[in-house]
Amino acid sequence: MENGQHQQSFIQKYIFSTDHKVIGMQYAINGLLMAIAGGFLAYVFRYNLAFPGKDIPLFGQLSPMQYNTFITNHGMIMVFWVGMPLLLSSLGNFLIPTMVGTDDMAFPTLNMLSFWIFFVSSIVLLLAFFVPGGAYGGGWTMYPPLSANAYMNPNPDFFQALFSGASLMLLAVALEFVAMLMGGINFVVTTINKRAKGMTAFRIPLIVWFIDIASVIFMFAVGPLVAGAFMLLLDITVGTGFFDAARGGDPILWQHLFWFFGHPEVYVLLLPSLGVLGEILPVFSRKPLFAYKSIIYMALFSAVLSVVVWAHHQFVSGIDPRMATFFSIGTIIISIPFAGIFLAFMATLWGGSIKFTTPMLFALGFIGLFLVGGLTGLFLGSNAFDIYAHDSYFVVAHFHYTLFPDIFFGFFAAFYYWFPKFVGKDLDKTLGKIHFWLTTIFFNLTFFLLFFNGLAGEHRRINNYSFFGNVNKEPYTTFEKICTVGAILLILSQFVFVINLIKTLRSGKKAAKNPWNATTLEWVTDSPPKHGNFDTFPVVYRGPYEYSVPGCNEDYLPQNQEN
Amino acid sequence: MENKMTAQVSQGKVASDGLVGMIFLLASEGMFFAGLISAYIVNRAGAMEWPPANQPRLPIEVTAVNTFILLLSGFFIVRFRMNNRNSQTEAIKSKGLIKLSLLLGLIFLIVQGSEWVRLLHFGLTTRSSLYGAFFYTIIGAHGLHVFAGLLTLLYLSNKLKKQVGFNMKSIIDSCSIYWLFVVVIWPVLYYLVYLS
Ligand SMILES: [Cu+2]
Repeated sequence: MENGQHQQSFIQKYIFSTDHKVIGMQYAINGLLMAIAGGFLAYVFRYNLAFPGKDIPLFGQLSPMQYNTFITNHGMIMVFWVGMPLLLSSLGNFLIPTMVGTDDMAFPTLNMLSFWIFFVSSIVLLLAFFVPGGAYGGGWTMYPPLSANAYMNPNPDFFQALFSGASLMLLAVALEFVAMLMGGINFVVTTINKRAKGMTAFRIPLIVWFIDIASVIFMFAVGPLVAGAFMLLLDITVGTGFFDAARGGDPILWQHLFWFFGHPEVYVLLLPSLGVLGEILPVFSRKPLFAYKSIIYMALFSAVLSVVVWAHHQFVSGIDPRMATFFSIGTIIISIPFAGIFLAFMATLWGGSIKFTTPMLFALGFIGLFLVGGLTGLFLGSNAFDIYAHDSYFVVAHFHYTLFPDIFFGFFAAFYYWFPKFVGKDLDKTLGKIHFWLTTIFFNLTFFLLFFNGLAGEHRRINNYSFFGNVNKEPYTTFEKICTVGAILLILSQFVFVINLIKTLRSGKKAAKNPWNATTLEWVTDSPPKHGNFDTFPVVYRGPYEYSVPGCNEDYLPQNQEN
Repeated sequence: MENKMTAQVSQGKVASDGLVGMIFLLASEGMFFAGLISAYIVNRAGAMEWPPANQPRLPIEVTAVNTFILLLSGFFIVRFRMNNRNSQTEAIKSKGLIKLSLLLGLIFLIVQGSEWVRLLHFGLTTRSSLYGAFFYTIIGAHGLHVFAGLLTLLYLSNKLKKQVGFNMKSIIDSCSIYWLFVVVIWPVLYYLVYLS
């Protein structure tokens, strides 16, 4: 494969490719397709909430059981089949080898396998909609006894139980985790062992650090959940009774195993997006990243802390009050490093000459929206408030204000920023900005009012509020309708993105090597980088954020520039 | 590919790719077993009587011998690694140790399997009690790891038939460390499930 010149068949080149850039693309496409599925589910149940019992355009009648199935799978899909592949796998694959200055991952074949296992996991998840009994509908956290008894038969037939919705969901999640584990190992080993000469630890761009930290958190936290999933699968298919209180088992045990992973998972999703901000903010304010090293230390600190706060999800399940206080304090402490990171980002912007490009808009939008999500999260962290707001729409609005900016604003910022590099064409700027504004406006329209519905006591996971006097009145019923209209418009405004994409792929201008005047190594090579990335391996002489250095001709110094 | 260039122009490796990758995989695996073990301890602490009166006892003595067999297998892998610190030729020369290790691992697995058959016969099943469920789940999970470990040893001894080149060290490191993990975790499980 010298110089990447030899002939490859189409299948080798685009399907079963071991090139990290192709795999990154495959992950992005698979993630976006799953986002369409997850978005469609959201559209259907939002429509049902605003107009209960009415026929839903493009779908028809939604039964209560289907409603449960849809919200469960919406959560599952958006977190594990959209957030994870887009932020962790896709960005990690594109960026880690090019940013540390090497030709490919440490284990290219494992990397290819990682994607294909992920692909199969998506199929298995969606397949569950078509088995007898339908997909699992007991909430994305899969709490027993609902999940363990999903296949309601005391004497389960193994194969029938194995092809029930609950089992298929567990299998899909397990496969997905295997894929992510393979990817994570590749990211970490590539960063540790394959960096370009001179790329010392504190010259590695923030996003590479953050994707690696996220991968390590994932690898560490996922073990107990896999153990739990294994036990739950046995409960369903073989009838072991690990989580069945009647037989001496412990249903709360699942919650511990689940949230031991579930809380760190939030940071697994958050860190890559913060990494994206760490690259974009300095470039478009032409200033060095403020407190680069401290940001990394704060992230490491929060990584350690992230595995000891999980039980704040169980304040209502009932835990010892002394322990509840411990977990409350831990939860509030863990917001400190993240507040620190956001402050460092603000300080980076302070006094910079800010250029409002599309990626920058998405990055700034991320910060603004996430602030709302983060602040409401602080309320929920104290167990007194949490017991009131638990399982209400306040919680729903809160985590959409964190996860939506995180997953979609983070991904779109990255997409608009690195698209010219990895596809080699310039996206339309006007369409990009329209996409940003429509997404921001309609996102707020969809979720802001839900805070009030939640405070009024509107409980989530109910398909028809007609029987709930406290919320089946004005203004809350109108709020529901506004949210639904917002959600539909939010989905429709993504067509601007699709149009931009199609237009650019057909007739976009060829992108320059370094259109944003950025310093990191991926901008040194061609757009798009060829197989093997670099003609000669770059040598690194400086840190990643040398913008507006006094006494230089240019206002930036690329990492590979000697002086 | 895996160019000569990388060797000259990179920051240098901390350890072989195989070793670094395997350390992270095993950290994850270790947490998997930690999850199973903590579930076991929690459930057991809450149980009225453990083991339940009507359930058969576990074969402590046979398994003690079997533990010794597995540890011996691990010992040969350690010997193998010590023999080939620096050269591939050495590794190829001492590949007999791998075969020995493989054989002992296979014996371990067969003895475990035959004990399972006996226990099932005596009425200990995955559904007879939580005691049985945990026994088969934890010991079964380890058994699957032993099986996977045997496959990696087989792969390694096949690779060692000839000079393979640049990634030899990676393969030796990862396969042998994986087997060592499978061996080392066993006494812990034996103590928790059979003895305590
Ligand atoms: Cu949490």
